[in-house]
Amino acid sequence: MAAINFSELLVSSVDDIKNSLATLHALISQLKNNYPDKKPPEFKQLEFETNRMNNSLMQLLTLHKIDLSHFSLTIDEHSAADILEDVAAQQSSLLSLGSIQLLTQSQSDLFCYCDATHIINALCTLVNNAQHYCLSKVLLSASQEGDYVVFCLEDDGTGYPEDLLRSDQKVPGLEDTTTGNTHLGLVYVETIAQLHVKADQKGFITTDNNSQFGGARFKLYLP
Amino acid sequence: MAINLTSKKILIIEDNASMRETMIHILGSLGGRFLITAESGINAITAMKIDKFDIVLCDYNLLGKKTGQQVLDDARFLKLLPVNAIFIMVTGETRQELVLSAIDNKPDDYLIKPISKDQLSTRIERCTARKQYLACVENEMDSGNFYQALHHCKRLLESDDKKMRLHLLKIQAELTIKIGDFKAAEQLYENILYERELPWARLGLGTVAFFLGDYDQAIETFKDLIVQHPSMMEAYDWLVKAHEAQGNDDNALSSLNSAVNLSPMSILRQKKLAMLADKTDNLAIAHKAYSAVIKLGKNSAQKSPADFAGLANVYLKSNAPNEALKILNQLNLRFQNDPEARLRSALLESEIHLTNGNKELAQLAFGKASVLNEQFSKNLPKELRLNMAKTLYLNGDKMACDEMLNDLVTTNIDNKLFVKDIVNMCDTFIGQNYAMLLIKQVRKELADINNNGVNLFLEGDIKGALDVFEKAIAKRPNNHTVILNMVKIIIHDLKSSKPDPDKIIKAQAYINKAIEIGMPHTQISRLQTELDSFQNATLQ
Repeated sequence: MAAINFSELLVSSVDDIKNSLATLHALISQLKNNYPDKKPPEFKQLEFETNRMNNSLMQLLTLHKIDLSHFSLTIDEHSAADILEDVAAQQSSLLSLGSIQLLTQSQSDLFCYCDATHIINALCTLVNNAQHYCLSKVLLSASQEGDYVVFCLEDDGTGYPEDLLRSDQKVPGLEDTTTGNTHLGLVYVETIAQLHVKADQKGFITTDNNSQFGGARFKLYLP
Repeated sequence: MAINLTSKKILIIEDNASMRETMIHILGSLGGRFLITAESGINAITAMKIDKFDIVLCDYNLLGKKTGQQVLDDARFLKLLPVNAIFIMVTGETRQELVLSAIDNKPDDYLIKPISKDQLSTRIERCTARKQYLACVENEMDSGNFYQALHHCKRLLESDDKKMRLHLLKIQAELTIKIGDFKAAEQLYENILYERELPWARLGLGTVAFFLGDYDQAIETFKDLIVQHPSMMEAYDWLVKAHEAQGNDDNALSSLNSAVNLSPMSILRQKKLAMLADKTDNLAIAHKAYSAVIKLGKNSAQKSPADFAGLANVYLKSNAPNEALKILNQLNLRFQNDPEARLRSALLESEIHLTNGNKELAQLAFGKASVLNEQFSKNLPKELRLNMAKTLYLNGDKMACDEMLNDLVTTNIDNKLFVKDIVNMCDTFIGQNYAMLLIKQVRKELADINNNGVNLFLEGDIKGALDVFEKAIAKRPNNHTVILNMVKIIIHDLKSSKPDPDKIIKAQAYINKAIEIGMPHTQISRLQTELDSFQNATLQ
């Protein structure tokens, strides 16, 4: 057998799996339509897991391209309120199945320069997770802090575990493979944040447990 | 937030049955009643020929032969999408990949699967709002009234809608380039870049340098952009143009080759590569590119007999006349009722038989070509006519050749690149001084006509002058001086007679024509301002 290019094979397979996943998702929504009133609780888990898989695959593909230097952002000026609206819309099926509340908050005249596709995907991943770990509500807000536009996610869960807390703008370690958690979402959002550059300012993230509701707080800073 | 789609005609292009069902369900729950589905690109184009849709949702990765991008390209090429229609590309991947193969045709938005109801409704709502907001600008652009479009654009900018601001600035800069006011466009792009380094604005600045003739600067800008954004195809396309404008075909070819490697599915880029490689005698590249064009063309509205003729010619140049004949057979089969195809085929056939030393067959093919040429000559592409002129000369029909060349020079006297092609052909096959003399003579004829028209005008015979220029335009539709004088006289006529909307429309049509053929802003803007003053007077 000829030598295979494993990297290429992996990428095309991930693409393929992603397509299957989209079909799977469509099938789930069709099944869901069979239950006009109360939907079985398994749907919530199905929705959460498919979202998670889909986001992860997309992030893997993007990180792979960044690794190969085949990647550049598509920067444009976007309304922060539109971005929050997009995140809420993408998470709407999952939200409709549970009792978790997603609140969004932003001034209508707040604008930021960013690659909306990737920022929305990053925020969706975080909101998807937050819904899993919180008790009853998640607040996603956008505001101006000095030269940066900040997207902030706060929940009322038990907060981040010790090893994920950091304010020093460094990617959390990937070395912790024993627990099976690669923190892919955080690696991805941090990487994307850092690609947002204005003059000598770079995007970054912080994580702490200072949520106004007593749970985890995540902040994404974009110059 | 919920929008109502009851009155909208919607086309869903999706090859996956479950996806289709989901889309229908979502759109139905948003009030959609007129929903048509197509499971392939070819069926989508047919559907668009039957109905004019308000909203098209198109999957990018369609099974079968056409991709979503090709559907969009064909729909725009065949003018199947109304100006205010919304085209949304639905994809499994992030959008960066997709922008790759797009040259001019970008969808209004991209959506990434899986799609929820809220997502779809938010996006359709935003696109609709944006289209409505920009309708006044886009309608004028669609009619070729660039000055009016620019005027609306400035007016909208004054209303200071922050959401639309950057988008409007982009359109404003593009329109400013369109009317040829490059210095103003440069200022616009610089202002945007001062605020933020945005690739499209940097690209815009590069194109301004190109139009101002500063090719070195333009090339540097495009190269920098490619380093920073390796997938920005527009930067490659402009880099190719800049190299060509500098007369450096080899550099143009190598840049274009890199671009095609990145986006092999783009038929227009493959076509350009094929022709450039053909021109520079890089036969291996030309062969590969023509073959790709023919393959892509099978499912595209942009297939052309020239692609087959090009490939056959490459075989001929590579001393493979029998392969060339095979391609001609395919050409004849594929385009049976197309006079252009038959002429191309006959011309090449004649050349192939000559190469094979088969004079009788060559003469027979040439006879076919001559008949076709007499019937259809004026409607054929100019490159083909130039080729015909060459064949006429080589077969000893000097008179027909003279006549054809005279007409080609007359109608294209302002097209520097093509005049250069004519000169090259004449120098190689006919003789050193032939083209020079011909051009001189055509210039003199033009000057005579102009003087005649202007004299009549000065004598006060406006009708006579208009007559002269109208006849001149009929024969030389692309001549700068003739069009300019025509507009000037109509405007003068408007000044001295009572308001006449027909004359205003006529003058506007000539101004639009002038912009279309690339006349500079400095020559047109004053005339447009004058014409606008009549238009305003009529409105009051």
